[in-house]
Amino acid sequence: MSVILTYYNDVVIVSARGNLMGGKETSDYHQTVKDLISGGSVKIVADLSKVKWMNSKGLGMLMACYTSCTNAGGSLKIAGATEKAKSLLMMTKLLTIFEAYDTTEQAVASFKQNPVQSPSCTDHDR
Amino acid sequence: MKSDDQLVRIRQLEKENDQLQRSVKELSILNEIATAIGSTTTLDRIIDLIIEKCVKHCNVEQAAVMLLDDEEEERPFKTMVRKADRSVNMLPFRLDEQLTGWTLKHKKPLLVNNFETDERFKYLSGRELPVASLLSIPLMLKGRLIGLITVFNKKHGQHFDSNDQRLLSIISAQSAQVIENARLHDQEQTLLKMEHEYRLASEIQNKLLPKSSPDCPGYEVAGISHPAQVVGGDYFDFIPMDANTMAVCLGDISGKGLPAAMLMSNLQAAIRAQTSLNPSPDACLEKSNRLLYQNTDHSKFATLFYGILDIKNHQMCFSNAGHNRPLFFHQAQEPVCLETAGIALSLIEETSYKQDQIRFEPGDLLLIYSDGITEAINTEYEEFGEERLTALIGANRSDPADELMKKIILAVESHAGSQPQADDMTIVVIRRKPS
Repeated sequence: MSVILTYYNDVVIVSARGNLMGGKETSDYHQTVKDLISGGSVKIVADLSKVKWMNSKGLGMLMACYTSCTNAGGSLKIAGATEKAKSLLMMTKLLTIFEAYDTTEQAVASFKQNPVQSPSCTDHDR
Repeated sequence: MKSDDQLVRIRQLEKENDQLQRSVKELSILNEIATAIGSTTTLDRIIDLIIEKCVKHCNVEQAAVMLLDDEEEERPFKTMVRKADRSVNMLPFRLDEQLTGWTLKHKKPLLVNNFETDERFKYLSGRELPVASLLSIPLMLKGRLIGLITVFNKKHGQHFDSNDQRLLSIISAQSAQVIENARLHDQEQTLLKMEHEYRLASEIQNKLLPKSSPDCPGYEVAGISHPAQVVGGDYFDFIPMDANTMAVCLGDISGKGLPAAMLMSNLQAAIRAQTSLNPSPDACLEKSNRLLYQNTDHSKFATLFYGILDIKNHQMCFSNAGHNRPLFFHQAQEPVCLETAGIALSLIEETSYKQDQIRFEPGDLLLIYSDGITEAINTEYEEFGEERLTALIGANRSDPADELMKKIILAVESHAGSQPQADDMTIVVIRRKPS
């Protein structure tokens, strides 16, 4: 899967595509976020709007990303969660931990950053 | 007086004789190497033997075998692993890098008799080197470079020549396959050891799960767990509290394999300890959560359903730490999901849990399960889902608990078809026997 990174100043939107069900796509996403954090990017929006399927393993990975990000002094917020992802977040009560927004714009704005005029996009193929 | 023809003939014979002697010597060396390395299979010992034979037969001061590390192929300059011999300390860093780099690039023999005049090592000119001459031959296997054999400093100030190159090439060709076999043998041994440890972990884990159904007069209580791997991250337990009450729990650790299994045993210990100290589910989960949070690195979490069954008053008081909602089949009504839930364990240090209560009438059935059941997907990525599970139980509600659990597992496996089991599957059934 292709993980797309979009930068808005110091906020990075990490867009997942495909399935977050514990396979390679899940570990690729996790690795991308870990790389970002170790590179100093700790304001992260996890864009789930293009995720077709997600299960508890995908959720576990997001939780691990959240923990790493928080430990590094940053924050990971969720944007565009599908119905399936929302129901998982509700069942596990993780919505009490994650900040979740309908759109990536709302999530980025919540970091109180001024959006850059023309964001740079990177295809982060793994 | 010998004629010119005779002299030419004699020289020819001497030359042929030399070649024959050299061939015999080479064969004898190869035989010696084959015999020596045939007696051992460990990589370290084989490399030691090759080095020993190279030093002896190439008449050199030192020899080294370097192997390319498969896992580091993208960074070749850091991948050459030196084996044995004091020559490890002979090469200045940049020469070492140059040598490995040159061989990786050209994949052919390198012969240097004078570092001062050799263009490839010009940058070393003027330095005092512990190496006067070297001959390096790549170890090739089916066109792939797997390492190199290098001999240093021909004895008595001699130079390396084409005969040395030929001999070392023969030794290299002979050694490549043997080294590869030994490397595969080493890998196999490592895998076998890991497999053995996994089996031990699996045995330990199996001992942590209840071996049989608990004795609950008037009730049928049973549990089953099918890990996706040798060891799993799911867990269920029946913990007797007094003559009439028993704690029942089913948990799921995020992730799978050994890390999940280790956290699972930690969770079980915490729950067992807290059950004896706390008479209510909410307090048990709150304290277990704190314990787990303090003892883990928070990269993993656990979901857990925990209930206390009172077989005298036919009630179950329960709390839920982010686990799948159990299905309760109550009298003739539509089944209900037990909604009360709190956050999964080990995510935040301080949290509280709500608790709720259900009453078992004769024939009522509670099904607690892990997400490996409902999230099992088929080739179309369609989940088994809560609806299928509810319908299946509805149709087989009066089956004995063991039979019912087997039917659920079979139905899930049948749904998944050729899709391999991706997650652990665990079920606990509690049914009040019909009066």
